[in-house]
Amino acid sequence: MNNFTTDVVIGLEIHVQLNTTTGLFCGCPIKPAEPNTATCPICLGHPGAKPLVNEKALEYGAKVALALGCKIAPTITFSRKTYFYPDLAKNFQITQFELPLGNNGHLVLDDGTIVRIERAHLEEDPGSIIRETESVLVDYNRSGVPLCEIVTGPDMHSPEQAREFMKKLLNILGYLGVYDPNTGIVKADANVSIKEKNYTRVEVKNITGFKEIERALQYEIQRQKSQDVKLETRGWDSEKGITHFMRNKETEADYGYIVEPDLPIFEISQDWIRSIQASIPELGEQRAARWVKDWKIDETDAKIIANNLDVADLFEKVAKKSKPIIVSRWFRRDILRQLNESKLELNDTKFNENNLAETINLVDTGGATQQVGSNIIQLLTLQDISPGDYVIETGLQQISDSNELKKLCVETITEHPKAVEDYKKGEENSLQFLVGQIMRKTKGTANAQKVKELFEGLLK
Amino acid sequence: MRISEFVEAAKKGNINIIEHTKKALKEAEKINEEYHYITAWADVEQQAEQLQKRQEEGNATGKLFGVLISVKDDMCVKGIESCASSAILKGYKPLFNATAVERCIREGAIILGKTVQDEFGFGTFGDKAGIGYKKPKNPVNKKHFPGGSSSGAGGLTKLADFPHLSLAESTGGSTAAPASFCGVIGITPTYGRVSRYGLIDYANSMDKICTMARTVEDAALLLEIISGQDEHDSTSAPEKVPQLTDIPANVNGIKIGIIKEAFEGADNHVRKQVLDAVYQLEQKGARKIEISLPITMKYGLAAYYVLAMCEASTNLAKYCGMRYGQHEKLSGNYNEYFSRVRTQYFGEEVKRRILLGTFARMAGYRDAFYTKAAQVRTKIIEEYNNVFSQVDVIITPTMPITAPTAEEVKKLTPLQHYLMDVITAPINLAGLPHINVPCGQHNEMPIGMLITGKHFAEAKIIQVAKAVENNE
Ligand SMILES: [Zn+2]
Repeated sequence: MNNFTTDVVIGLEIHVQLNTTTGLFCGCPIKPAEPNTATCPICLGHPGAKPLVNEKALEYGAKVALALGCKIAPTITFSRKTYFYPDLAKNFQITQFELPLGNNGHLVLDDGTIVRIERAHLEEDPGSIIRETESVLVDYNRSGVPLCEIVTGPDMHSPEQAREFMKKLLNILGYLGVYDPNTGIVKADANVSIKEKNYTRVEVKNITGFKEIERALQYEIQRQKSQDVKLETRGWDSEKGITHFMRNKETEADYGYIVEPDLPIFEISQDWIRSIQASIPELGEQRAARWVKDWKIDETDAKIIANNLDVADLFEKVAKKSKPIIVSRWFRRDILRQLNESKLELNDTKFNENNLAETINLVDTGGATQQVGSNIIQLLTLQDISPGDYVIETGLQQISDSNELKKLCVETITEHPKAVEDYKKGEENSLQFLVGQIMRKTKGTANAQKVKELFEGLLK
Repeated sequence: MRISEFVEAAKKGNINIIEHTKKALKEAEKINEEYHYITAWADVEQQAEQLQKRQEEGNATGKLFGVLISVKDDMCVKGIESCASSAILKGYKPLFNATAVERCIREGAIILGKTVQDEFGFGTFGDKAGIGYKKPKNPVNKKHFPGGSSSGAGGLTKLADFPHLSLAESTGGSTAAPASFCGVIGITPTYGRVSRYGLIDYANSMDKICTMARTVEDAALLLEIISGQDEHDSTSAPEKVPQLTDIPANVNGIKIGIIKEAFEGADNHVRKQVLDAVYQLEQKGARKIEISLPITMKYGLAAYYVLAMCEASTNLAKYCGMRYGQHEKLSGNYNEYFSRVRTQYFGEEVKRRILLGTFARMAGYRDAFYTKAAQVRTKIIEEYNNVFSQVDVIITPTMPITAPTAEEVKKLTPLQHYLMDVITAPINLAGLPHINVPCGQHNEMPIGMLITGKHFAEAKIIQVAKAVENNE
């Protein structure tokens, strides 16, 4: 039936919440609100209400599909997927079945594995269920939020690959600006089977985020190796770190799809596709590859900087005002660290291409030490200062004057006879120690390279 | 008096709206006591008072100023119980007006109330209003059924002597059938001509809001008002709405298509009187052309029922006693609760259609039924389009029989029941505009002629209908 050969076979179905301002079929705002207040007759499925397609959501969906290399369908066709559940206001979900918005795309992993994208389609989110001890409550605020569902082929062979896929996908979504990593939810269902159990397929539902997917799959593969495997649907419990039985595949609902008769079938024009295609920015991976090729930037640095669209944009601007390789090191070492530590978004900091380029160039031309440069970058997270003025005002220009430095070195040699002795015995570390003493004395403004050379001369 | 004459008089202040309306309301209540056409009353007097005030302030505008409009129960009227005559929606008061209703109100109409129907539109005779509803009676003879599913609309239009128009609705013949059985004008427009916003769905790809009146001109007036694209319904058509009123009754040179099979299936007296009416049109200059619609006549009804039931079974899924309408004491899991509410409050016919519709779209059957029916539908539309390149209108009997009695209907099997729609179902499936015009009686029961036109040719069928109306 299948022609799998690998030990593990994994396929993913990923639901991404698109960050449109209103619902997929109604004008309700998508933002946190008191339960059941951000609703209207359409998303509550009132008799007589009719869905209206949100064009922004179509555009976002098409962006995702095109960025994943999918072909866009000739028409937009929605369908009804019928099943009874309290969070589903109409007891059917409007989704795409016959003709997904995009199909036949792919995403390539670092090891060259091609993961096929079988379909990328739009659908509405149901409401949310809040479980109480004896009953459940339903909040329909989420009902009608646009989701993009992305279905891969069974093309991944390890939890790590699944993690990498998710990471790459999230990177693309971030670049497209169709998904908000702070408020949006990305949920994955994974189909996983192993050779040892004849590739009996188990679906694991409700996995959130790329770290979880690796954990969930690692657990599930181990479970399959040690237990009987049946065709079934299991749920991922991230707190306990286990998957648990949900239902048999045989008893799964038959969704009885029909074409959504309240929405006409829209023709998609080539012009529309072209305009969407044109609005897709150069994606992270392509960008990183270009930097490596054109600017000889370290591949790992390039990938890490390209991970976030805003950071990558800023990097390019700064690189053009300085030396790209040096700028990439500053980004990797200082700028990304400051973002991480401060937990700030780039837009919330005072970083800009001018103050960063000035800082980097100042250090590069010997106007300030590496240490002072790092300090300035830390300050730039919160206040827009002029690096040049700052160095002058605080007397932190780099001391490169040989006579002044030589005086300090001689002073230090007399203060630390033990270290001097150790150095002469061949201990390289003690030279580092002596340089450190000078840096302390000068509050980091000494030119470290020069100090090192001076010591080497004096202690010959 | 034509509606437009009444409106002119009302605007001028020659009629006291409050007194006139009170009198009309009394008359409607009296009819209702005997015939059971109204399921919920709007606050008629309050609306009349407002209009009277407007008139006195010199602000009397609108093509329906002071006219009472009854609304089929499956159309939402804000704040008035709107249930599609189903017990499961008991107590449901919509938050908004259907677009058709809203357009009437903007033209100065007074909403009278909601008219009874077969539950969710599922019926041909008008004997299938939901659990707990009083059965409507034929306005000509109470022993007979009024026709369905727009039964209340047909009956009230026939009996109301006050100026009155009715908003009806058709999915597969629900306007034509009661119009024929009650002896009134019923216009079903092209699919998409009138916004469905606010219409409680039966089969969304076929549902059409329609008009009923005692004269072609009045039914056309109401249709003209409610037609046109609406941003709330993306299936509403962008086509420009032509003038539908004051069309002259001229059939000179009109080519009338006659489908032989449609006449063969009808009772003798029905066939004879419809053909007599066609003969009179020929005398006025129309030309009769025999046409044939083999695919339509053979598969139209089956395709209609498959698609209509598939769509209906999804539309009715939301009625489960949870968010609106009938509620029950909570017990068991959600599945048990939903099943209990649905078992208790849906009528027999509704359950039958949900089961059939669900079956026809299940994996394994879907291709053979749902998908095949959709393909047949395309073929049928093609076949009609071909015919309309040869003729202007098609004329058939509306119903193969006159309004039956309860005893007569009881003898019908469900299949015979459905066969009543053999003429009306395919044209509804194809979304073609059609009009029922009374053209005689048999044992006092009205006989209806059906004039069908091509898509968006409402003006043409109205033109021919006026000539029939003028027949001797
Ligand atoms: Zn809404």
